[in-house]
Parts: sequence; C-alpha cells; structure tokens
Amino acid sequence: MTAKSKTMQAFQGGKTIKPGGVYWMRYIIPALLFYVVFMAYPMLDSVRLSLYEGTAGERAFVGFANYVRLFTDEVVSKRFWNAFGNNWIFFAYHMILQNALGITFAAILTNRTMKGRQFYQTLIFIPCTVAVLVTGYLFKMMMNPQWSKAPLEKIGLGFMVHSPSGWLGDPGTALSAVSLVSVWQWVGIPTMMFVAAFQGIDDDLIEAASIEGATPWQQFTRIRIPLIIPVIGMVAIMTFVSNFNAFDVVFAMETLDGAPNYSTDLIGTLFYRYGVAGQHPVGIPEPGVGSAISTSIFCMLLCGVIPVLVKTQGKE
Amino acid sequence: MKKLLAIVLAAVMFVLPCMAMADELTMGSWRTDDVEQVSALLAKYEELTGVKIVFQPTVSTQYNATLRQQLDGGIGPDLFYSRTFSTGAELSENGFNVVCNDIPGVKDNFSDSALGGFIDKDGNIFAVPFAAVSHFVYYNKAIFAENNIEVPTTFEDFLAVCQQLKDAGIQPLSNGIAANWDILECVLCGMIPNYITTEERLAYESGERKLNDETFVRVLSDFAKLVPYLPEAFASIDNDNANVMFGLGQSAMLIDGSWSYGTLAGDDYDIDVGFFPIPAPAGMTQGFSLHPDFGIAGNAASAHPEEVKAFLQWLASVEGATEAAKVIPDGFLPLINADVAPEGSIIAAMNAVGEGKPSDMRFVWNMMALYTPMVDQLNAICRGEQTPEGAADAINALWEAELAK
Repeated sequence: MTAKSKTMQAFQGGKTIKPGGVYWMRYIIPALLFYVVFMAYPMLDSVRLSLYEGTAGERAFVGFANYVRLFTDEVVSKRFWNAFGNNWIFFAYHMILQNALGITFAAILTNRTMKGRQFYQTLIFIPCTVAVLVTGYLFKMMMNPQWSKAPLEKIGLGFMVHSPSGWLGDPGTALSAVSLVSVWQWVGIPTMMFVAAFQGIDDDLIEAASIEGATPWQQFTRIRIPLIIPVIGMVAIMTFVSNFNAFDVVFAMETLDGAPNYSTDLIGTLFYRYGVAGQHPVGIPEPGVGSAISTSIFCMLLCGVIPVLVKTQGKE
Repeated sequence: MKKLLAIVLAAVMFVLPCMAMADELTMGSWRTDDVEQVSALLAKYEELTGVKIVFQPTVSTQYNATLRQQLDGGIGPDLFYSRTFSTGAELSENGFNVVCNDIPGVKDNFSDSALGGFIDKDGNIFAVPFAAVSHFVYYNKAIFAENNIEVPTTFEDFLAVCQQLKDAGIQPLSNGIAANWDILECVLCGMIPNYITTEERLAYESGERKLNDETFVRVLSDFAKLVPYLPEAFASIDNDNANVMFGLGQSAMLIDGSWSYGTLAGDDYDIDVGFFPIPAPAGMTQGFSLHPDFGIAGNAASAHPEEVKAFLQWLASVEGATEAAKVIPDGFLPLINADVAPEGSIIAAMNAVGEGKPSDMRFVWNMMALYTPMVDQLNAICRGEQTPEGAADAINALWEAELAK
C-alpha cells in the first residue's frame, strides 16, 4: 500500500513535469546541436568566408571585395546573372510542369474508380530512386544524334532527333532538355505528396458536394484544391529551394561549364567552379567568391521563401 | 572470461603498434586507369627498400578539388601526382609540397624545359617531373588501306585526305566540342608548334607579338578548315564519344592526346591504330607538341618525411626512372634526360616521332586567363558564329587587357 502510493506520488509529484518551465529544452538539445554544428555554423561561416580572399593557410580579409567583384567584374557578373537567369528557367519548368503533372497524377491516382493504383504509383516513383548521374548519362546518350539518330529513324521517330547539333548541343534547347529530364525524374515526389494530401480529405465533404450537385470539376477546383493549399505551398518551397541547389543533372548531362556556351550553367555549377574546384584546367578555387555567390543566393532565396510561407501556411 | 579478455587486449596492444610501425605510405593520383601498373612499380620499390606505398587514385575530374581539401584538412596522401604549371605551383606556394631543389638528381637529370613546368613563383621545384604528353592524329589503318590513303605529311595533304574520306562516305574525324577542353588542348594546341616556336610563344606571352597577327590568324584559319570534317553532331560529341566513335571504326581519324593510345589500341576496341603528328602546312617546319603533364610531389606535412624524400630521389635517378618507364601508361613520355623508354614500346615510337623536331608545350598554358575564352572562341568558330579573324581579335583584346592589369 505504502509502496504503491509512493510510486504514485513520484509519478504525480510534479517534480519532473513542470509545465511552463524550460524542461522541454533538453529534448531538443540533440537536434539543436546537430543543426547548429552541421547546418547553422557552416552557413554562417560561409558568410564570413565571403569576406576573405585566398585559400586555406593564407586568407586575407578583403571586406566586400568579393561581392563587388561578383556584381561588377565583367566576366564574373555575366556568368552570375546568366546562371541566375538559367536557374529561373530551370525552376519554372519544375514549378509549372512538374507540379502540375504531380497534381494531375495525384488526382487521377486518388480517383475512387481508379484501378491498378499501386502499379502506376510505383511506375511514377521509380525514376526518383535512380541516381541522377545514371539517368542523366542515359538521356545524354539518347539525345546524342550520333548514337540515337539511326535507331530512332528506323522506328519512324526521326523527328525526335534535333539534327545536327542534338538537343544538348544547341545552346537554344540545352537548358530545356536538361530541365525536362529533371522534371521526368523527380515528378514522383510531388505526386506522392499530393496523393497523401488528397487522401487526407474527408470523403464526407466530397459526398456532400456531389449530393448538392457539384460536378467533378467543381469538386476538384472548389474543394480538393483549396484543401491542399498548405501542401501546394510546401511543395512550391521545396521546388524552389531544391532547384536553386541543382547541380548534379547539369554535371551529368553537360559539363561543369554549363555547356554549350554556358546555356545550362546554374548557380550550383557556377558555385562549384568558383568555390570548390576552380576553373579547368588551373583548378585553383576561390572560396571567397564561391561563398559570396552562395551568400547572395541564400539572401535571394530567403526573400522568395518567406512570402510564400506566410501566404500558404497560415490557412490551415 | 577475464583471461580471454586479457589475451585479446594484450594481442591488440601488441598488434596495433606493429601496424603503425609498418611504413605504409599513400600516393594520391588522378590516374584511376593505372592502378595495376603503378602498383607494380610500387611493389618493385618495396622489394628494393622495404617501404610500402599504397596507390590511392581519385576520379580525374575530382582530383584537384579532392587533393586540395585533403591537404587543407591535413589528411593528404604522403605522395601525390602533381599537375604542372600554375595548378601545381599554387599548392607549393601554399607550402603543401616538399621542395625538391636539393633532392639529388632532380637538377642534373632533367632539362630546364622539363623542369619549367614544375617551378613555382619562389623558384622552388615542387615535384619530380614524371611524364609529358603529346597530341597526335590517330588513324584507322584498315580504313586508310582500303581507300589507298598514305599518311599525309602536310596540312594540305591532310585536308585532302579528309575530303577524300568524306567523299567516300566515311566520317573523317570524330572530334567534337561538347567536352569544352579537347578542341583546344588536343586540336589547336597540337597544331600550334607547327606555326609558332618556343621563342615566338614567349613573345606572344609578353605582349611583344599580338594574338591577332598574321601567324595566329593563320592558325585559327587552318583550324576552321577542319570544321567541315567534324561529325555532323559535333556539338553533342564529347571526348569520350569521340574516342568511342573512332574505336568502333565509325570515323577514320581522331585528333587526341597521346594518353588515349592505351585505350584505343587496347582490348576495348578491335581496330589497328596508327598515329602521326598533326602535319605542318607545306613549307613550314614540322613541330612536336610535348607538354609536361605530371610529376610526383611529396606532402610537406607527411608523417614519413624521410621515406617521401627517398622515394622522390629514386624517381629522379636513372634507375628509378627506368623502372618507372616500364609501367608508365602507354602514351605518356618520360621527361628524364636518359633513354629510359623500353625498346620497341609505344613510348619509344612516340619519342621517335618527336625526335629532331622543335617541341613546345601547350601554347596557352602560361596564359591561363585565355584558356576559357579560347575554348569559347573555338566553339563559336565550329558553330559558324565566329570568323578566325574575329576570334583572334577577341583573344588579343583579352590578353592586352590582362597584361595591362
């Protein structure tokens, strides 16, 4: 009896659980520590690095010289704004095409009369599980007229060959080709998120709507879409951020220079060339300029992300 | 149980120091193709001295960045393949390299021109010169024989051969521009020693001669004459594609670096490969491009400084260089002042091509600010968006601006 009440006391004693205190702190310490050491510190350090010149060993403080160079030097600023513009086009393809496809696929997949849902869902998701380097290289081969022209003409698909330069060799089409490959590969991610969101909608609402005489299209635009706005906002932000970090697909399909003629140069490849590897063949990186690029982009992304977050996440 | 634990602990305490005592050095490299050959050389060295060196190559395109980060982080390999000129010198200027000036043999066994690619701003020799590369026209012997084509000796003959092949429905050259480097490094820099001597190159570097003068425009005009013989899809063809096309017999010729010989003549392909230097125009002296490509450097922060120096000294000796020449990959030419190329080897054959011809390194290597602009201009010429004169003017303007800095 006494033993039992003591346990109860300890349990209810309020010694360990004190609402209003900072008891919760200890629970977030591991995550916070991880975040600070591996995310916040490197990010802030790269801001610091952007004010320095030279590589390890002999860094010199140069103030905002790297930024001045980035925005005024004829060559560097031309490359930066070119990459910046390319990134927006690359982003537009994903935002418009990938997310629209994602919603469409999700709407079809969650339709109650849909058969073989699992099969199609898997099919759409499979490309996401393959390494970008692999898909990029395969598409590079497929789009090279040297290898694909003859076989495609044989099966009557000669119009798919962009002769003579190839989709990836023509500065006018290369960025679109690279973007579309990336869209094809990653369309599964927004699809899955939208599928989950659509499934979360209460069936009663749809049923009530159809009893009231709403057409399927009205149900889709007036009920299902408004209800998943927070998810659309989240997907938009993820698309935004991941596209400004894009690097691998260009690396796999074109060169680090964003060939041909810098038409596929993205912020990621530009940053890598300046900040990490250095321009071929000298290969001497300028971490200061690289950090200036990443810091500038970070600020620009922030300006883009915050309004979208405020607009979409408040409506839950 | 305790007894067992004690035994295990004792064993660990005994074995660990022994493992640490073993003189195991590491060697970084970008030559992932050469693991077998270099390991054989290192095994030979271990046999001679008992020092074990492990070969640890990284992917070529990542090497500079990886090495840099390793050295920055203090975990660099004890020995590493060193690039030449400013790329290699920059590491040395940051104090990462063992200075080789006093290593016996380095100054005696290598010519000044060989050492020229390995001296940094402070006059330190930052690596033991190991190998140079050249650039050739590779040709498919069977295709040449079927069409009764002789190896051309002048640039005009070369163009005639290209035309003859094109007329016969055979793709003359498989070079493309998608890789953004080989069109300059192999094709243009392979041609230039036929037009410009070492002294003249120095005059271009100092600004004494203009990069839009008659000679340089001539070089670019002759380059432009090759464009009609590139594959139709040249804009999508990178260096790998070009090699594969030639290797599969889809083209009769390929202008590429000497380093490709090993792959082209190897088991991957079923063709009989010959090579000749890119021919000089009639009436001009046939030159030979010989570009110092890599050396072996020691890591100044190595935990085994004595072993590192001993290995470098061995490489700089005729004995060491002779052993090294046996495993040097096909297509790399030794830089040492001694006839170390194994008799009958492809290296000896390539050396023979260059013998007696004025040789020079790649034209642009001391004017690195021009590298990317020149690639861009060559690409534009190939696409038909730029004339040789326009390209020369653009390149000259950039170099004048660079000199004025």
